[in-house]
Amino acid sequence: MRPPTSDFSGSDSPLDGSRSSVFGPELGEFPNNGQSSEPREGEMKTGTTTVGIKTEDGVVLATDMRASAGYMVASKDVQKVEEIHPTGALTIAGSVSAAQSLIRSLRAETRLYEARRGEEMSMTALSTLVGNFLRSGGFLIVSPILGGVDSDGSHVYSIDPAGGTTEEEYTVSGSGSQYALGVLEQDYDESLSLDEAKDVATRAIKSAVERDLASGNGINIAVVTEDGVDIERHKDINALL
Amino acid sequence: MQGQAQQQAYDRGITIFSPDGRLYQVEYAREAVKRGTASIGVRTADGVVLAADKRSRSPLMEPSSVEKLHKADEHVGIASAGHVADARQLIDFARQRAQVNRLRYGEAIGIESLTKEVTDHIQQYTQVGGARPFGVALIVGGIENGEPRLFETDPSGTPYEWKALSVGANRADIRDYLEENYTEDADLEGGIGLALSALAEANEEGLEPEGVGLATIDVESERYTEHSADEIESYLTEHDVLASDDEDAE
Repeated sequence: MRPPTSDFSGSDSPLDGSRSSVFGPELGEFPNNGQSSEPREGEMKTGTTTVGIKTEDGVVLATDMRASAGYMVASKDVQKVEEIHPTGALTIAGSVSAAQSLIRSLRAETRLYEARRGEEMSMTALSTLVGNFLRSGGFLIVSPILGGVDSDGSHVYSIDPAGGTTEEEYTVSGSGSQYALGVLEQDYDESLSLDEAKDVATRAIKSAVERDLASGNGINIAVVTEDGVDIERHKDINALL
Repeated sequence: MQGQAQQQAYDRGITIFSPDGRLYQVEYAREAVKRGTASIGVRTADGVVLAADKRSRSPLMEPSSVEKLHKADEHVGIASAGHVADARQLIDFARQRAQVNRLRYGEAIGIESLTKEVTDHIQQYTQVGGARPFGVALIVGGIENGEPRLFETDPSGTPYEWKALSVGANRADIRDYLEENYTEDADLEGGIGLALSALAEANEEGLEPEGVGLATIDVESERYTEHSADEIESYLTEHDVLASDDEDAE
């Protein structure tokens, strides 16, 4: 918002490099600090499979347990779904540091909100907040799934690294997405019970674990109902089926 | 002499406690509120009613320029009493906080949360050096989770919740009237009737439509609605508090 200036000098804005006058400062390019939402060269691509399914009685979130670093399995026992709200959980896909930082911030925000207002954040509020965190310049390279229950019922949100939030019936994220989505497309139904949804989620993760190099080593299943968040850990997926 | 000098030390300049624990500047600010014309809030099962005495000092003044009722957000109205200029600052603050809540959480702000944002702001002006307290009391009314809520802020920065209240001139008389006539099961029309009759209680000659502000936020629409002078006139007639014609003819 610059005030209009007279045009007698014939000079354009000095910040407009392409048309700077000969008497203006010489402008270089801003250094690229690699702060983009695309993974940098040499950085690990997302190696994970996470799914979220909404049912009448609650939400099921399931994740594999492998952390990958290129072609190496960096860790064989990682919990990629975390409680961030008394009736809300977030799955992690992408940069571990970004996800950990995001979860710390979200927990602080939900507790502060409850302490100040005497009521829990709604899922609309929580999903907006996650979107704002990702959008607000932190360049957090994560694609989480948010699942939770509030007074309006169950909600699942697919969230992209740039902060876009979309409410879904079921969704996937991570490198094994396509394999998991194939299962969900066949087996999801809005009348699924919570137990049936756990079974569908388990088979979706198993499908990805079988075919995606970067997914494996077991499964975590979070069940979110109005009573809270319950996270199960199973190293042997087949034992669940 | 000694006592006088001592008192002066505690009521000039910055707000500090007197030896008996009083904040004179805040008490003086409350006096400023009493000098403002009355504003009334009534909570009913169907919504919140805000009414204000906005008589102007001269027939030459445009009635619309008397600011007593303010829309803070779609679902929140604020009525003020006291210094108009101070009220404008607080109302702009409230409007901004309401929008910040929408940006941050994607939701309309709660009435209790908004009131407390405002009172926390007011409180700072009773403690920060070089500041003067706000010489205004506000009535914050609106719908939160489908429920009507009604709050008051005062110059000390304390939030209160009410079923019905008044701030400004004739506060005690109007409160007595509200206490006698408030019923829990009144509908919005009943609330409008109560608010206008209470306002008339402090104006023996009756009310002029142009001298009254009336706004409602009902549970169904969850929208702040200001009523026109014509609508107000029909309400005043209905409740038999319209100023009689011989007053106009004088």
